[in-house]
Amino acid sequence: MTVNSIGEYPVLPRDVVDNFHGNIFVVLGWDKHMMISSPMAFPLPPDMPFGALVQEVMPAAFGPHPEWGEIDWATVEWTLDGEPFTPDMEKSLADNGIGHKSVIRLRTPGLDGIAGVGI
Amino acid sequence: MARMTLKERYHHMTRLGWQPTYQPMEKVYPQATYEGIKVRNWDDWEDPFRMTMEAYWKYQGEKERKLYAIMDSFAQNNGHLNLSDARYVNALKLFLQGVTPLEYQAHRGFARQARQFPGEGASVACHMQSLDELRHTQTQIHTLSHYNKYFDGFHDFTRWHDRVWYLSVPKSFFDDASTAGPFEFIVSVGFSFEFVLTNLLFVPFMSGAAYNGDMSTVTFGFSAQSDESRHMTLGLQAVKFMLEQHEDNVPIVQQWIDKWLWRGYRVLSLVAAMQDYMLPESPMSWKEAWEIYFEENGGALFQDLERYGIRMPDYAPICAAEKDHLSHQVWGILYNHTAAAAFHTWVPDERKMDWLSAKYPDTFDKYYRPRLEYWRELEQKGERYYSQTLPLICQTCQIPMGFTEVANGDPMQVAYRSTEYNGDRYHFCSDPCQAIFEREPEKFVHAWLPPQQIFQGNCGGASLEDVLKWYNIQPGDNLDYAGSPDEQRWLEWKGLAAAREAAE
Amino acid sequence: MQIDIKAREIKPVRQTYTHLKERFGDKPMSRYQEAIYDVQARENFHYRPTWEPDRELFDPARTRITMGDWYKFLDPRQYYYGAYCITRGRQQDSVEQNFRFVEKRGLVAAMRDENRALVLTHVVPLRHYEWGAYLNNNQICHRGYGTALTAAAQFHAADRLGNAQYLTRMALLLTGNDPAALEAGHGAWMDNDAWQPLRRLMEDSLVVEDWFELFVAQNIAMDGLVHPLFFDRLEKKMTSQGDALLAMLTEFTAEWFAEEKRWADRQIQVAAAENPENKALLSGWYGKWRDLAVEAAKPLAGAVLGDAGEAEAIAADMDARMRKAGLEV
Repeated sequence: MTVNSIGEYPVLPRDVVDNFHGNIFVVLGWDKHMMISSPMAFPLPPDMPFGALVQEVMPAAFGPHPEWGEIDWATVEWTLDGEPFTPDMEKSLADNGIGHKSVIRLRTPGLDGIAGVGI
Repeated sequence: MARMTLKERYHHMTRLGWQPTYQPMEKVYPQATYEGIKVRNWDDWEDPFRMTMEAYWKYQGEKERKLYAIMDSFAQNNGHLNLSDARYVNALKLFLQGVTPLEYQAHRGFARQARQFPGEGASVACHMQSLDELRHTQTQIHTLSHYNKYFDGFHDFTRWHDRVWYLSVPKSFFDDASTAGPFEFIVSVGFSFEFVLTNLLFVPFMSGAAYNGDMSTVTFGFSAQSDESRHMTLGLQAVKFMLEQHEDNVPIVQQWIDKWLWRGYRVLSLVAAMQDYMLPESPMSWKEAWEIYFEENGGALFQDLERYGIRMPDYAPICAAEKDHLSHQVWGILYNHTAAAAFHTWVPDERKMDWLSAKYPDTFDKYYRPRLEYWRELEQKGERYYSQTLPLICQTCQIPMGFTEVANGDPMQVAYRSTEYNGDRYHFCSDPCQAIFEREPEKFVHAWLPPQQIFQGNCGGASLEDVLKWYNIQPGDNLDYAGSPDEQRWLEWKGLAAAREAAE
Repeated sequence: MQIDIKAREIKPVRQTYTHLKERFGDKPMSRYQEAIYDVQARENFHYRPTWEPDRELFDPARTRITMGDWYKFLDPRQYYYGAYCITRGRQQDSVEQNFRFVEKRGLVAAMRDENRALVLTHVVPLRHYEWGAYLNNNQICHRGYGTALTAAAQFHAADRLGNAQYLTRMALLLTGNDPAALEAGHGAWMDNDAWQPLRRLMEDSLVVEDWFELFVAQNIAMDGLVHPLFFDRLEKKMTSQGDALLAMLTEFTAEWFAEEKRWADRQIQVAAAENPENKALLSGWYGKWRDLAVEAAKPLAGAVLGDAGEAEAIAADMDARMRKAGLEV
């Protein structure tokens, strides 16, 4: 479907990657940990190693959650843009296949959130 | 003198136009046809109300006289001291920042429709609504001017509406309507919002005001009610007119109803949080209001519209599933991000939690009380939790993606939806928000999304401090209610009041 | 519970909203100021209008007039909605009295036949003229920039609808509620030779794109000819012949025009004083629409006053107004 308009309607996407000064827009979500009330977004250099994302970026969003320190990273289940995925901690975000507006989600089996109900 | 019925007389008082012959119709009324709505005959328009300008001036002038007299006496008597609690005032902040600018947009939008609809009856009804909406804008600014003198969080509402993250939710809603054609505009504002959803806005704010001792806002609300009833009849008449004019209009109108009830519902989730959490004394819960005003009244309306081939939007079950969660989820979002908001949030006290538990027996104690209790624990340790990062927001409704898969049986899992357009990904909170985008992607890719704008460097800088400066959110406007200047002043005033009473 | 605390104990934190404080300092503002300043959204619009995709929703570029501050367009009457409706509501009392007086004293029957006929063929069609002016001022409200001017334009549109409705009431009163009088008036507006230049001009104004040019065309030039012609010259002529009916039944419209001129002239003055480009534009628009309006008014002046040249005399008054407002005339 397209928009009805008088004259041509210009397509002016505001959030194309070129507008982010070399960064890409990356979304991080921790499933079933609703104390953090929504997924969080970050402008990140695509050559940032995935390990740095985990160690430096994620704590800013998820660190306040009481279970953050208890994560067993060997058992984390990752998805990238809806597909299961195994990140390489040494490789860059780009080399891990992470693009502009990608969504990275982590699931932490055994950690069920505050009160065990996904908070 | 020959007798003339009121209807005939009104007809002559308003059928003042003519068919242009020196300029073509399509140049005089350039917006009349491009949306695909077919009108066989504008003379079929039934005037939803019959009010001449003369009657309007007299009636409205009298209402204004009374309203301003009460406003003046409220100010003279420091009426704000009679409130149930200063937390209540945050509902008014949300109203002035989020709703008043929409009244203004409605004013300008209905002026457009008054000019663009080729039928005089429709034009005059839109024109009066345009005047009314200006009234609401200005009387709200005047009513709340007194509060602005004594509380933070009111003082820069126009700038905030243009810039601050959560206000892009109502702003984008109305920008969407105002940038649409005249027929879609009237379905969005006149029908979906004014007719179907208005009680869900009106009851929490105006009954909320009554329950919390705010006589000034109550007076405004009642004064606006007779305007609103005119607006409701216009919205319904406009939709029936389109449906009766041509069968080809039915699917177009259905699509707009689907879009705009969802858009309105998402905006109202902010009201839901206000209603359940900000009001110290609540007339009813969001869930109760939804059941009465949407499920019952709206259900009856859609039964009535069935004869035109219009059906209830197919996402109604999502709303039904969300009603036990909506206000709690949105309060959580607001609580997380209050550092960058021009109002306060807080963890409700035990009495309020018990009320929530009674109103939401299936969900509050299980999913939301433990979260609030944990936040309270952090607060008591001096570590009040504020999110240090920016949320992903929905491309369509622009609310942080805190809605969950509750309709799919998984209430604590965030709902992620996405699509690709022109090689870029777009994220949504729900199926209906995605569907709205996919019908008009050219429009929605241009949305001004606050987190993205901050990252692009368009909001004063990268730090919270920079952005707050650009927002002009001053100390006292934001953060928790506990420890706020609002709270300090309130306690001081009430203490003074108690001391004085004791002395007498 | 009555709370009795002296004002000094409950001190305000601030006197007004920030956008007003930035303009005037932190002091109490008038209702007009709070109701008008900076109310319209200015930035960060989400979507392009489908009805005008090359512009923003609110966009100063819909006119060639440029302003450093669009809130210089103040209303000398300081109308916000409440003040406006209270004023107009009050005016209706005297209108009602006039209509009652005309009925009670049998002024319709007493009216000279030729004057009665003239009112029906040459005043009643102004219902449609006023409707055109109503549309044009809704357009100015819709496409204009800044609440100061657009809100006043919307009040103006309401006034025009009111004028048209009073003309309708007058026609019904004159004919004992015979709608044929309205049909005849419509017929004259559509087909009578004397009305065609004015109707053509009105239709041409309905397609003007620049909203400030439209303001000049409608609220200055066309009105500056039409209103004095009918509600001053013709009215005086009939009154001098002993027929006060037109004067009484259109007293509101005549008073309204005197009031409205102050507002309209102020807008021109403010825009012209802003910069030489504005002044040149406005002078050009005025010259163009003035000449067209004079030509359109001539056959009507001929028909109602017996002197087509009266149109030029009326235009001379208007020229003086515009010179005073700062235009090159």
